[in-house]
Amino acid sequence: MSARREIVSSPQHAGNVMARAATSEAVRGGDFLFVSGLIATDPQSGMRMAGTTASETRQILINLKQLLERAGSSLDKIVKVNVLLHSMLEAPNMNDVYVQFFSDPPPARTVCGARLPDGMKVMIECTALA
Amino acid sequence: MSEALVRTAIAPKNPLLNASRAGNLPHVPGIRVGDYIFLSGMVPVDPQTGERSHGPIAEQVRTTLSNMRHMLESAGSSLERVVRVHVVLADIAHMAEMDRVYHEFFPVDPPARMVWSMQLRFGNGCEIECVALAA
Repeated sequence: MSARREIVSSPQHAGNVMARAATSEAVRGGDFLFVSGLIATDPQSGMRMAGTTASETRQILINLKQLLERAGSSLDKIVKVNVLLHSMLEAPNMNDVYVQFFSDPPPARTVCGARLPDGMKVMIECTALA
Repeated sequence: MSEALVRTAIAPKNPLLNASRAGNLPHVPGIRVGDYIFLSGMVPVDPQTGERSHGPIAEQVRTTLSNMRHMLESAGSSLERVVRVHVVLADIAHMAEMDRVYHEFFPVDPPARMVWSMQLRFGNGCEIECVALAA
């Protein structure tokens, strides 16, 4: 039997994900939930909240927690996180905030420096147990 | 775990699109395991010649996604079964143009996605990989 594919959406979707209509916020497929690369946005208005690496990381993880819980998952069910930073020199600033969100053992994680759209400093995506 | 999962390499029906074999590279085009298919990063390759095809970014994205459709359909899956996409651009300024073409391939219920820019090899303007549900 083939696995089911379900779109997980939300009212915040429009601003939460980088590329608007072309992207679902998260997709459930089989046993996993695949979450799009999130940027820092205000969950009420969907407006971008460009700030420091620390503030963007905090906002993304707050939004990610809510997103996962709405989808019936949670931060503790994440298996893999990919973090993209505008500069790897900022990795400690991201990490100081990041550690506050995960209990032991935290998920597997990769952190890379990359060019991000629209001048954002942080982008985070994850794969979680559905 | 009731039964051990088996991992199987997949291949495109068009052998010219088997870039990893053509380049004698240490990876396969994709792996099927359990409910999923994991594709290697795909770049713009002309399906008629097997050569890199470097036109405008819109053409590169169209070629790459068209080849991705072929790859998935060769393995019994499809673009409609894709759950997550990574789009890497050589130039983040191509975001809007990439998005326009991307939308043609995923018009409804698009997959989760992350887009960023970093250095790519061989002058490729884009590299796209995905995870899809197997048939």
